[in-house]
Amino acid sequence: MTFRTNLFAGAVALATSAIMATTSFADTVKVGFIGSLSSDTGLSTLRGAEIAIEELNAAGGVLGGKTIELVSADTGEDPTEGIKAYEYLAESEEVDFIISGSIDDVSLGWLPRMVEYQIPTLDTWTSYIGIIDNLVTDYDNYKPYFMNIASDEALATLYIDFGKDVLVDQMGWKSVVILQEDTAFGGAIHGLVAEALAPVAGIEVVDTIVYDVATVDFAPIFSNAQASGADFIYLISSVNSQVVSSQYVKLQVPMGMTGVNVAALGQEYWEDTGGAGGGISTLSPVPSVGFALDPVSQAFVDTYQAKYTSRPKFPHFNGFNAYHGLKQAFAAAEEAGGFNNTSWVDAMLGQDLVLKKDGEMWLRYAFWKPGEIEERTQRTYPHNARFDITAPYDDGAPSMVVIQWNEDGSAGVVYPDKFKTQDFGIPSWVKK
Amino acid sequence: MISKPLLRSLIIWAIFIIGMLLLPKIFALLGFSKGNLRTLIQACYLAIFAMSWDFISGRTGYISFGHPFLVGIGAYTTAILSYRFDVPVMYSIPIAVIVTMIGGTLFFLPALRIKGSYFALVTLAFMELMYQLVQVIRPDLTGGTRGISGIETLTRGAVNGYYLAVSLMLVIAFVLWAILKTRIGTALSAIAMNEESVKGSGLSTTKLKLFAFMVSACVAGIGGAFLAHYNGSIAPRALFDINFLFTIIVAALIGGSSTIIGPMIGAFFLTLLLEKLRPWLPGAERYFVYGGIALLLYMYQPKGLYAIFWQVVDRFRTRRGGQS
Repeated sequence: MTFRTNLFAGAVALATSAIMATTSFADTVKVGFIGSLSSDTGLSTLRGAEIAIEELNAAGGVLGGKTIELVSADTGEDPTEGIKAYEYLAESEEVDFIISGSIDDVSLGWLPRMVEYQIPTLDTWTSYIGIIDNLVTDYDNYKPYFMNIASDEALATLYIDFGKDVLVDQMGWKSVVILQEDTAFGGAIHGLVAEALAPVAGIEVVDTIVYDVATVDFAPIFSNAQASGADFIYLISSVNSQVVSSQYVKLQVPMGMTGVNVAALGQEYWEDTGGAGGGISTLSPVPSVGFALDPVSQAFVDTYQAKYTSRPKFPHFNGFNAYHGLKQAFAAAEEAGGFNNTSWVDAMLGQDLVLKKDGEMWLRYAFWKPGEIEERTQRTYPHNARFDITAPYDDGAPSMVVIQWNEDGSAGVVYPDKFKTQDFGIPSWVKK
Repeated sequence: MISKPLLRSLIIWAIFIIGMLLLPKIFALLGFSKGNLRTLIQACYLAIFAMSWDFISGRTGYISFGHPFLVGIGAYTTAILSYRFDVPVMYSIPIAVIVTMIGGTLFFLPALRIKGSYFALVTLAFMELMYQLVQVIRPDLTGGTRGISGIETLTRGAVNGYYLAVSLMLVIAFVLWAILKTRIGTALSAIAMNEESVKGSGLSTTKLKLFAFMVSACVAGIGGAFLAHYNGSIAPRALFDINFLFTIIVAALIGGSSTIIGPMIGAFFLTLLLEKLRPWLPGAERYFVYGGIALLLYMYQPKGLYAIFWQVVDRFRTRRGGQS
């Protein structure tokens, strides 16, 4: 073959592949993922979305046989990067739908961009009630936004019940010393404990010890906590929580400890603490580590664990939210004929996935409708996950559960009673 | 009568300004997505902050590690006024700039007594202090740890946002260039070389430094306030953050410190580099490449991309001269 023939053949091949690429582009629906690609949190949402997309594509595609393509935009958990990431998905990739595994301030950062572009967006991790308040006050602008985790207000309401029912009534604890990490998260949760949980449950906050996230030796901090004379420690830790947890165990601190411990939400917690994580309890959105799963959620976990070998080995709650939420978003798109604003929003509001276990409602993926009032708090939660904060939890999933790790490396749910798999307890070295 | 070098500079400025203003049209003709304009908008704001930093640190030699403190004051002041108190943006932004300049005087006080690494550390403390304060003091106003979302935006769409950002950047750049062309600019540069000699020549270095700090704070305040109204949100982690500080400094250094065009080149180069890497390296790997390229460039030519550009031009001229 001459050089000219080769050149001609190459040009034909290039043109053909370009036409094929254009054709396949037209047959594609683009989903954007926004979140951190290097955190367990972000990866849980991303992987949940990936599995849902694979299943939808394998079932013949969506919207008349189109293939779903996933595009990722990393936020690095930075609010400014979050804005850039949203702009990239909206204007460079021109995605049809966005699924988010962003943390609070990152979501708040890109939210004005969502208002501008009006791209249907589902948040699976952030639970900030302020975002739902935006829908209450300015529904038309914020209506493409959905949050399928219970908002923090609902989470706090049930958590206060735990304080009354378990910490005060069952354990007889009346005073607390708070160990708070010096972060934005620490400050926010401290407010919840000191201003809501403690006063309502009748617990006295005797001291708050703020520690730096780089702390490696917690012995003096635990000594101060003991010296405070409080009945128990309330730990607030999101960064390197495994360090403070393992030292609590190794030092055999003679006081009970509960709280919010982000490391304990993941299956890797036991490994990360070197097997020294027993007795630690934390609140967690559902489904969590130790939470008994319904058959559908269990099948998702099985697929997840067969597909991914790197951490997080077990999806965090937002992985489940992404998996079910993405499928609901496409079911709504099928009804609405695409992700066009108003009709898709109405169709999404109509989605209702009830997951049963042993014949009773276990989890529910549905949304509060605009104007619909939640009985206990007497307020509206438009486009928020339809949670239930009143026993017997037969209208929705609980807004949260409390889980506890045992000294043998197992974990179970200790509150509320319906989902309980074990009793709340104190470690073996703490005297009753 | 305008001198020849000045006339040449003005012509270059005119070409640069026209080129920047025509960019959206050129992008549209080439079929580029609007996402490219969004990237350029972020680059414009970074360029403003880098120019502001360079006006203090590049000119007078007082290395500031707390510049986000000034940017943050501007952003938070206008955000609080407009979002919490419904003050119209046409008032909230000028007030924010004035408040930032007052913040600039606080910034200036340590410069009366200390220099070098001590000054850098004190300014870093300003930033850290502000990071803590906005979370603790009146979170009902500042939005606490989560910041404020839903701040009034001045423009909608990439094209309008670009014209606003690029106009701001160009006006600021031109004004700073004009200041530096005066004797004050020469005196400021002399401070970086030998402050004692400047004092010895009868000039008040205190007044000169105060002037530099005020101008720098004014620019930071303008940039911060307009950025808040472009993004529509602010958060303490986005503004009073060490990464933000390094981005500003790296942009100024990579582009070419002690120049006006240098920080702009650096800001555009780094912002575009990071965003263009995104489709191929969506995760944190982008930052390794970004850091690697920045390091190599800095090692090759510490005076930055601006100096590299002139090296290339000089080589080209020499070669052409040799040929003729």
